[in-house]
Amino acid sequence: MQYTLSKNDFSGFVKAVMNTHDFIAPIQGDPSKRVQKTQFQPITAPEDIHIEVGNAYFPVKYYFFDKKETIFEFKGHKVIDPIIKLKDRVFFGLRRCDLTGIKHQDMVFYSNQEDPFYKTRRDASTLIGLHCKEGDDYCFCNSVTNSDFFDLMFFDKGENYAIEVGSEKGQNFISTFHDFFKEAGEIITPADREIKNTFKLDTTDIKKLYFDEQWEELANKCISCGACNTLCPNCHCFTIQDEINFDLHTGKRVRTPASCQVKSFTRVAGEHIFRDTRVARYKHRVYHQLQYFKDRHDELFCTGCGRCIRGCPVRIDWVSHINKMNREDKP
Amino acid sequence: MTTKEYIIATSPLKPELKKVISYKRESSDSFTIRLDWQLDHELGQFVFCSLPGVGEAPISICSNSKDYVELNIREVGNMTNALAHVKKGEELLVRGPYGTFYPMDTLKGNDLIIVGGGCGVAPLKGVIDYLHKHTKDYGDISLFFGFRTPADALFRDDHEQWSKVFDLNISYDKMDEPDHPVGAACISGKQGFVTQLVSDNIHDNKNKVAFLCGPTIMIEKTIEVLKKKGFNNNQIFLSAERLMYCGMGKCGRCMIHGKYTCLDGSVFRYDELGKTEE
Repeated sequence: MQYTLSKNDFSGFVKAVMNTHDFIAPIQGDPSKRVQKTQFQPITAPEDIHIEVGNAYFPVKYYFFDKKETIFEFKGHKVIDPIIKLKDRVFFGLRRCDLTGIKHQDMVFYSNQEDPFYKTRRDASTLIGLHCKEGDDYCFCNSVTNSDFFDLMFFDKGENYAIEVGSEKGQNFISTFHDFFKEAGEIITPADREIKNTFKLDTTDIKKLYFDEQWEELANKCISCGACNTLCPNCHCFTIQDEINFDLHTGKRVRTPASCQVKSFTRVAGEHIFRDTRVARYKHRVYHQLQYFKDRHDELFCTGCGRCIRGCPVRIDWVSHINKMNREDKP
Repeated sequence: MTTKEYIIATSPLKPELKKVISYKRESSDSFTIRLDWQLDHELGQFVFCSLPGVGEAPISICSNSKDYVELNIREVGNMTNALAHVKKGEELLVRGPYGTFYPMDTLKGNDLIIVGGGCGVAPLKGVIDYLHKHTKDYGDISLFFGFRTPADALFRDDHEQWSKVFDLNISYDKMDEPDHPVGAACISGKQGFVTQLVSDNIHDNKNKVAFLCGPTIMIEKTIEVLKKKGFNNNQIFLSAERLMYCGMGKCGRCMIHGKYTCLDGSVFRYDELGKTEE
């Protein structure tokens, strides 16, 4: 079943949702304010929503994988269970790449031993996507396999939005706010599902390129700042450390995101660093995106959002570089 | 719009308290603690050990018992230095076990070659204890240990007992140090590297399986020696160590060429690890 929502009703819909939920949507950045780049924030009024641009500068992942998650508090040797305070929230304006990023994080945090912190934040969230019509200069999502993963997906149809339901949670959401939605037939056409990208990634298996000498050239530009990790919707590596209070008795164990581009990422006691060179670290990131995750979960990790290229302070365009290496490798 | 409170009572990252029932100093910079922990584990697995306010570290189990867990720890970093001050009767926060293990059952009937360097002997001690009880199930068992000096040798009290059952070979990087004369309880060894001992004593790869644990350089060189003797990659098992925080394939820190040391290791069969630069 597909639905429609008139654009005239949109702000009424947002207000209705805001009564019961945090409404998190892209907000336009303002260089003079704290939020300098477009990013997902809880809005205060429907006018705040800024969906004209391509994808937001920052990914949405930190709403699920908190930047500083308390794993437990301690008092001496006594472990105290942490409390997560959370409002139910609705995310609006997620692009396909954002949604696939969340799917990949689900794969990591739900597999093996389920992570309760991630799950709590995830379960309190409803994901509403907004389908792109075309990408910007950095997007290359047409080259990767972004699957249909959403609770609801909005398609811009001029005067109204056509809505596709992707999960039970999405269907329940429609039922809760049924006043705004009208039932419709199969109104979403294959043309609506197309995203025009000009930028492409050659996803040929890069296993054979591992010892290619050209990696060095690419990594020499890298300044190991970790911006690509921060902006990537997939990157999930973290550090666990203890924070002790001034009484030297109480404190908490916290989990914070970590960057594989930083030298200390693999540093062990005795000052041994397993990935000591920039090229080894850079290759690790690219191979994790294009090969390692695929070997394990049978799906390309990279979602083609292009944030790592857009945000790189030294403009490392690894996608063109991989394309070049693949081209030269072919007979 | 209401804020809900979620209490996270069950978490795989939440440790439990276990009592230290004995503490023994092995050498100037390493010690063994025994925990009152009836843990069902396999040989070669590891646990996370933590002190609130200091941090958490993965430590391999060096015992083979259902009644207790022994951990041999070398003081190298913040966490292990702090652990050295733990006393008998105190409590530690622990969680585990994690990781893969040595497939002892499938290797029955084979000759085993056990190569350990420095504190790399610790994870192998559980295997040796197990083999001590099950010598009949396996062929010839040779142990090759390398230590820096005789004073650094681990599990010295057990050496005499082991040498009666196994072919025990020990090498020391430095033989005589004025401060550390060769201890009486210490089985005499040769000066040199453990790779030399392996090279001198192993002549072919027939029905042989090697377990390696130690510094990266030792593992690399030993693999070179074993390859020369005709060993195939699937006859070599090695323990890899990496920085890790979770033990369940989420923190991403222990990844070696796409393999998680905590899930796919820490005991790897050499052919499972792709060729890497690390």
